[in-house]
Amino acid sequence: MALYTLGAGQVAAGIKNREFSAEEYVYQIFERIEKVEPKVNALVTVNKQAIDRARIIDKKIRDGEQAGLLAGVALSVKDNISTKGVKTTCASRMLEGYVPPYDATVIKRLHNAGAIIIGKANLDEFAMGSTTEFSRHGITRNPWDINRVPGGSSGGSAASVAALECAASLGSDTGGSVRCPASFCSVVGVKPTYGLISRYGLVSYANSLEQIGPIGRTVSDVVSVLNVIAGADEDDHTTADDSHAYSLHGRKGLRIGLVREFIEGADPSVGKVIHKAVDTLTGQGCSCEESSIPSLQYALASYYTIATAEASSNLARYDNVRYGFDMSPEGYEWNSYFVKARSNFGEEVKRRIIVGSYVLSSGYYGKYYLKAQQVRSVLKRELKALFKKYDVLIGPTMPILPFKIGEKIDDPLKMYLIDIDTVVANLTGMPAMSVPAGFANGLPVGLQIMADEFQEQTMLDAAHLYEQAAKVQRNPEL
Amino acid sequence: MVTKEQIKHLGWLARIELSDAELDLYTSQIVGIVKYLDKLDTIPLEKVEPIAVKKKITDLRPDEAAEFDGDPLGTKYRKDGFVKGPRMT
Repeated sequence: MALYTLGAGQVAAGIKNREFSAEEYVYQIFERIEKVEPKVNALVTVNKQAIDRARIIDKKIRDGEQAGLLAGVALSVKDNISTKGVKTTCASRMLEGYVPPYDATVIKRLHNAGAIIIGKANLDEFAMGSTTEFSRHGITRNPWDINRVPGGSSGGSAASVAALECAASLGSDTGGSVRCPASFCSVVGVKPTYGLISRYGLVSYANSLEQIGPIGRTVSDVVSVLNVIAGADEDDHTTADDSHAYSLHGRKGLRIGLVREFIEGADPSVGKVIHKAVDTLTGQGCSCEESSIPSLQYALASYYTIATAEASSNLARYDNVRYGFDMSPEGYEWNSYFVKARSNFGEEVKRRIIVGSYVLSSGYYGKYYLKAQQVRSVLKRELKALFKKYDVLIGPTMPILPFKIGEKIDDPLKMYLIDIDTVVANLTGMPAMSVPAGFANGLPVGLQIMADEFQEQTMLDAAHLYEQAAKVQRNPEL
Repeated sequence: MVTKEQIKHLGWLARIELSDAELDLYTSQIVGIVKYLDKLDTIPLEKVEPIAVKKKITDLRPDEAAEFDGDPLGTKYRKDGFVKGPRMT
């Protein structure tokens, strides 16, 4: 049996019931990685310690000890999440060779649950991008068509799951960075409510917007991971004590709002798949009607103001003195050393730092940043009103199909505009996910499902209902 | 209107050196990006409070020092227990 095709729950059960060993499973995962990586380039580091961890899990099971909810399950982790003893580069020359001295809270929780980190996944540098083209480690390719982008910035995470290199993955989502690649790679990706998952150990890009989120091939897989990593953490005081044990219900009769602005802005081929998804959901006893988020047109301007402002502040710490890449301070004056070290930032990161510095400049704070924060309040108010009427809001995750590598890389504004449907969840802190909706011209389309704050269970119910009825899930040929 | 001089100055403030070619490219791109952000001028926002986190200071954990397990620094440039940086002048 090809063990690498199994989902998280199946792997944990198989290992616990001693149908196969964790070691056997991890060897198969490594073989798979060796086979597909030359085509996909989803992983930037393969964690050879994984075999030792697998042997520890096997011993625990032989000795009759508790091995954890995710015993033996192989995960990849986006390379902006700190892993003790394993390089964490953020796909940047700035952190080339950086080995964190501690684990992020999510990594600790995964380890305690018996999960095995098999590698670090590629991303756009410091998570800034929507295609995984801005990486020090080269471009990740979409497993459904290797000439196309996998989405971003967690492109390596989504591609590694789609390419069967792991059972699940962790990404981070600042403006759609989990949901965009989940949509483009036809996998499931969740951006939880702000505060559901600890950000301790996640390298900050725009910390009022971002959350770590799980990616898997099925809703069941992301639920398994979510149940392990969610919950309050004293190392991140923005976390809330509001997590639950999520489960898979066949809940029918959901009230669904189809967001008009999402559909109107979408490519017709994408819109067609989403309308079919609506038919599937109404066929399952859900009610669905058109709804509107009137201020959605301001979301992207608000998002790029806040994201770049926070980025320019967060990335000021990279002076290369306490950690970073190997560059001796000998013979340099303070400023010239920083300027030289910071020349290692890539093109998109430099651009966002400068835009962020601009919107925060004296005299412009009220014109941009303050207004952008007010727009967040307006959007939140509009969404809260909609969630009185609807259990979930839906639309396409991405307005377009996965496009050719290089197609948008020279036009940053054009690239930013494709985040139009995803940023609203980050601006308002509300949960959103992408679930495979179907295919158009042989390319994946994602259905985005949004819910009110901390209503992840309702969102997952809708996703599970759709997944079971539509039966979209399949694996790409590689 | 964003000017080349402004971008150069912001680059210096952020300690990012831009070549002449980068300066030209970034200026033209950032003109377009900022023009897009000016959309924020068209939404009526009187009496709208900016979004805020509802945490209270009492929600913070006690401010107690804790031992860090391992070496917290990632640099080999050290002397007498200190980190070596570039000289100030």
